[in-house]
Amino acid sequence: MVPLKLIWRNLIRHKLRAVLTTGSLVVAFFLLCVLRALVVSLDTGVKEASSSRLVVQSAVSLFVDLPVSYQNKIESVDGVEEIMKMSWFGGYFQEPSNMFAQFGVDPDRISTVYPEIEILSGSMEAFMASRSACIIGIETAEKYGWGVGERVPIMGTIYPRSDGTAWNFDVAGIYDSHNASVDDSTLFFHWEYLNQSLESGASTGPPGVGVYTVLISDDADQLRVGGEIDALFENGPQRVQSSPEAEFNAQFVSMVGNVPFFVGAIGTGVLVAILLATLNTMLMAGREQTRDVGVLKALGFGSGATFWMMLSQSFLLCGVGAGGGIMLAIGASDSLRGFLGTTFPGFAVNAEIIQSALTLALVVALFAGLAPAIRARSLRVVEALREEI
Amino acid sequence: MVESRHGVELRGVSRIYSRGGETVKVFDDVDLKIDAGAFCALMGPSGSGKSTLLNLVGGLDRPDTGDLTVGGVALGGLSEAALASWRAESIGFIFQGFNLIPVLTAIENIELPLLLTNLSKAERREHALHALELVGMADRAKHRPGQLSGGQEQRVAIARAVATDPGVILADEPTGDLDFESARQVLDLLGRLHSELGKTILMVTHDPRAAQRAERIIHLDKGRIEEPEQGSKGLSGEG
Repeated sequence: MVPLKLIWRNLIRHKLRAVLTTGSLVVAFFLLCVLRALVVSLDTGVKEASSSRLVVQSAVSLFVDLPVSYQNKIESVDGVEEIMKMSWFGGYFQEPSNMFAQFGVDPDRISTVYPEIEILSGSMEAFMASRSACIIGIETAEKYGWGVGERVPIMGTIYPRSDGTAWNFDVAGIYDSHNASVDDSTLFFHWEYLNQSLESGASTGPPGVGVYTVLISDDADQLRVGGEIDALFENGPQRVQSSPEAEFNAQFVSMVGNVPFFVGAIGTGVLVAILLATLNTMLMAGREQTRDVGVLKALGFGSGATFWMMLSQSFLLCGVGAGGGIMLAIGASDSLRGFLGTTFPGFAVNAEIIQSALTLALVVALFAGLAPAIRARSLRVVEALREEI
Repeated sequence: MVESRHGVELRGVSRIYSRGGETVKVFDDVDLKIDAGAFCALMGPSGSGKSTLLNLVGGLDRPDTGDLTVGGVALGGLSEAALASWRAESIGFIFQGFNLIPVLTAIENIELPLLLTNLSKAERREHALHALELVGMADRAKHRPGQLSGGQEQRVAIARAVATDPGVILADEPTGDLDFESARQVLDLLGRLHSELGKTILMVTHDPRAAQRAERIIHLDKGRIEEPEQGSKGLSGEG
């Protein structure tokens, strides 16, 4: 077998080229990991959605609010265990770029509907006790340095205050979610606080409820319960559409546009670019080492040894490049989560992404190394030694 | 002197190449016998078949017809893998362009063929150092080929050729790229390998002075072996 020392030194024979190729592989695999993590984070909410929750929205559009009176009627449907109002607030903190999800909800029902929410500091009781109280996901709280007892000013865009000032929410709890269907970046506040503001004229915006989140009992059939809810309002005044949470989340993701497709297309482009760059490097390396291959064969090394010598260089090159890129992506994961977390909740370079990246590295290594390896294997000694490099 | 058992015998050997659709007969029905332990110089004009003969004897090329036996082994019956193993064991190559691996040091180059033996790492290092001492290059063990002169490179190449203690040394114009003094040193070394270690040496050369170091000179012309030089010993060319 050809010594590893020879394989490694051949790889760094041209240091600048080795550094540039490895650098491009590091950047490419970093990008692939991050892009994949973006797509996965969009899918996570769909994959981890609860099968015992339904989302009831207007049949016209998600942006059309439902009457408050629907809550009692939906609650009466057989199989409905709990129902909670949810209204998208669409506010931001200080700057429009500091946008994250805020929902007006029924505070006394949230822990039943979303049992995955765990209060890390503060309490659910404190949240329920005060009209202006809110609970905030750990990611957003850490990002802005908010703690229990602080007052958080949020500018309303859908529900601006009439005097042009910010809404003030008092942090009653910081939560962590055990499931990606509820992300760790949302602020939940009292829907009633919003409603009273609208009624008193302190703020403006569409009245009603954005969606109802319905928890159904374990033995209830999702389709039947959904069908019965929809049937309740078939003749108006506002028709509704009930969807399982997964379907609703998928619909929400599709509203972001073709982000998964777009990100996937960029990833494919990056992959093709590194394939070609690595192939180019390996073809040059193969050509440069023609005489070495001839010498090795003359000394008695078999065709298999020279085949593996070339292929190993490709694996080593891709291993170092991909390893660097993956390490970089893991290292930057926390910072990126802080930066993207509210837009891509649950963003993380997880084991599955690392495994995919390593598989891709193997494919690239094989693709780039196979041609020079086959050439090295089939080269006749006499021809190889005669070759002008 | 150590007795080498590595004699060379060619019987009715022909080698034909196709170049650009044209058939070129490099060798035509050649018979040749070189005794074990002989030091032979192969001379002749370019294209006469000297290097082809060396490649055939070294198992780097195969004849189209005829039988070729080196050290009692009929090369025609060996598979490619068996031929490679046989080469590792029996043949030491010295090339005109030295052909050291540029990314390895002198001692690492010499250790390369030893990797194909059963020697331990320490034994390989010991053998390689011994070979370097033999060619007077022990103080350059850690130098890479690019840090050596042409003559020094060729001496390292000779050390690599003898590291596994092969019976036959094949040298293809070993002094072709060297100055007078370096060429003299290399020829002295080859002479010692022959006289002290009993190696069978086939040396292709254009230089008559280099050829004079051999005990037998074989002339090749148009793929045929011509009358041998008078006074040379161990000769039985019949081509």
